[in-house]
Amino acid sequence: MRRNILVLAAMVAALALMISAGVVNYMQRQRAEQARLDAMKNPQVQLVPDGSQANGGADADSAASNSADDEMPGSQLNGQQAPNFQLEDLSGRKVSLASYKGHPLVVDFWATWCEPCKVEIPWFEKLHDQYAGQGLEILGVSTDDLDRNDPAKLFTEKRDISDFAAKMHMNYPILLGMDSVEDQYQIDATPTTFFIDRAGRIVASTIGLVPRDQIEADIQKAISGAKS
Amino acid sequence: MKLAKILTMAAALVAMSASAQKLPWQNAANSASGPNQQLVHFLYPQQVTVKAGQPQTIELHFRIADGLHINSHTPRQKSLIRTELIEAEPTGVNIAAVDFPPGSDFAFPADPSQKLSIYSGEFVLTMHLVAQKGNHLLQGSLRYQACDNSTCFPPRNVPVPVDVIAN
Repeated sequence: MRRNILVLAAMVAALALMISAGVVNYMQRQRAEQARLDAMKNPQVQLVPDGSQANGGADADSAASNSADDEMPGSQLNGQQAPNFQLEDLSGRKVSLASYKGHPLVVDFWATWCEPCKVEIPWFEKLHDQYAGQGLEILGVSTDDLDRNDPAKLFTEKRDISDFAAKMHMNYPILLGMDSVEDQYQIDATPTTFFIDRAGRIVASTIGLVPRDQIEADIQKAISGAKS
Repeated sequence: MKLAKILTMAAALVAMSASAQKLPWQNAANSASGPNQQLVHFLYPQQVTVKAGQPQTIELHFRIADGLHINSHTPRQKSLIRTELIEAEPTGVNIAAVDFPPGSDFAFPADPSQKLSIYSGEFVLTMHLVAQKGNHLLQGSLRYQACDNSTCFPPRNVPVPVDVIAN
């Protein structure tokens, strides 16, 4: 009788342990999934229309500065040397990241099919002009698929990117992305933007559309970062 | 002795439970990360029975991961990638047409003036086909390009395998 009770108690305890392990496991996975999704979506960002400084700009600037200083979800490459690459621009000229050493640099991975990218691009154009005196350079890396084995198709695809850039009045070099470079920079989504100081170190990065103020704050970080 | 055996078995079960993989009720579609992660899932049918030699329709059901949308089959801008079904017709099957539902209006919060035509949640495609008698495996794929409110993901293809039994 006593043995039966012990056996029953052991079985109940084992069952309870199994259920609790399952619940803990489920909760851990839920948290991990949510954290990963948050990192991709950057949902805590409150989008601020361009030109918001005129209306309560001090608060917006302050919020942007604070958010830029906080641990924002960005690339795991933050704090590391920017991986070098050599990509073709729209005219077929090879452009190397290394050739921009000594300049604060923005590398924006975008695509013609990316609507949020279209919101950011005019900001980059204005900021490019605004900070040109401080040496700021911007590279736009298109992540559009290119069929490099089919010359006719490749020509059309390049023309589409070129037309898009012209339509958007992009005033900085447009480079044609390659999988190897996108892998190096761990690009899973667009827009993804890296802010690189004069010494070639990634000082900030953003995934997804973020407020213009945050982009400007990250540009200022790149400008005030280490000298070459 | 018997009790020790039971306790050992219970401990083993607990260990298995703790190391268990994703639990069945979890929604894998909730994660958008990773280049190979599907953001649209083909729900059903996996198998259909149709009348041989006569025009038939099959409804293909899909679900888009929560919080995401994809362009409809008729996006409003040339640069956007439309949703399309890529079908390889096996011998004995003639796919006459595929009907796509109309898209819903959507605008990104940061660009409310730019209206897009999108699908979100679940949507259904209607395929019109004629199949000769026999079993046929349709091995199509749905090409789509998904975004959330601030981010867009590269175009992907989700397999759409349907076993067509024509009697």
